[in-house]
Amino acid sequence: MSGFLKIAIRNLLKGPVTDPYPFGKTFIPNKLRGKLKVDPKACTACGTCEEVCPSGAIHITKNENVYVHTTWYNTCCFCGNCEFFCPTGAIKLTNDFHTANTEEEKYRFTTVALISEIKCESCGEMFVPASEALLKRAYPNVNDTIRELTKLCPKCRRKKAFERLYQ
Amino acid sequence: MSIITRSPFLFRINTGSCNGCDVELATTAMIPRYDVERLGCRYTGSPKHADILLVTGPITARSKPYLLEVLDELPNPFVVVAVGTCPTSCGIFRDSYSIEGPLERYVKVDVNVPGCPPRPQAIIDGVAKALEIWKEKIRNQK
Ligand code: SF4
Ligand code: SF4
Ligand code: SF4
Repeated sequence: MSGFLKIAIRNLLKGPVTDPYPFGKTFIPNKLRGKLKVDPKACTACGTCEEVCPSGAIHITKNENVYVHTTWYNTCCFCGNCEFFCPTGAIKLTNDFHTANTEEEKYRFTTVALISEIKCESCGEMFVPASEALLKRAYPNVNDTIRELTKLCPKCRRKKAFERLYQ
Repeated sequence: MSIITRSPFLFRINTGSCNGCDVELATTAMIPRYDVERLGCRYTGSPKHADILLVTGPITARSKPYLLEVLDELPNPFVVVAVGTCPTSCGIFRDSYSIEGPLERYVKVDVNVPGCPPRPQAIIDGVAKALEIWKEKIRNQK
């Protein structure tokens, strides 16, 4: 039976039901596209979400060795593009719908995630390592050798991988 | 004070909205499931009676004169609520040649309810906030 019919029949039998919100609990569908959450451990600051966001809600800036991933809800249209294109699954839309904010909060109504760089074990250069989520997506089996390589900056990693091939 | 407990009137204007927000707003106002009038406010058909103005849409060039007319007719004090991402920041329509928004260019906005469209409960949240601000404004006016 379609959802609509179910509700219509229930209303016929029990009378219309007013949602108790804001005085009580409300019903939230699991698939509701509400405010989003960024997992800084999985994010690699690749910038894909910033690129695909149709409303320019996401900005990734760099402060000394830390990437700051900011989403401004007041312009987000909750389309879910960022979640769809994120290669690591770091950004997810939750079903939190509480978006009402006062004008004073307008430009502070954001979510911020900090993605830190690490030091390359070989040359000491700072870089953002591939996250575990990205490795899982790229390789069928993530073993220790692969994990070792993520501690090296892209340049050193290339060198090391090449050496390994011809040793 | 009796004037504070009086039911504030809500007035809504569509400034070129895609209808998404209007459907949610109509849902919030009219169907018994959400029923925003439980908060003690009533809808009115005239901006001259309005205490709380609800605006949907990104202020298209064609709708701008109507918005300005409504803003002119509002009695003081009034509270402005931007419903949806469009009036708040123009969202995906930002920088379009036919868009003259966001709303804050024309009037001091009090509450923003972003969402494309916002969920009825979020609109209720926004109206509840607006009611608080309205009471505060009435108190300060005296
Ligand atoms: S949900 Fe859409 S609009 Fe919101 S941040 Fe993601 S891509 Fe941008
Ligand atoms: S959230 Fe995903 S798409 Fe956005 S920068 Fe992080 S890893 Fe890239
Ligand atoms: S915020 Fe979204 S749903 Fe509302 S009017 Fe704008 S485009 Fe339509």
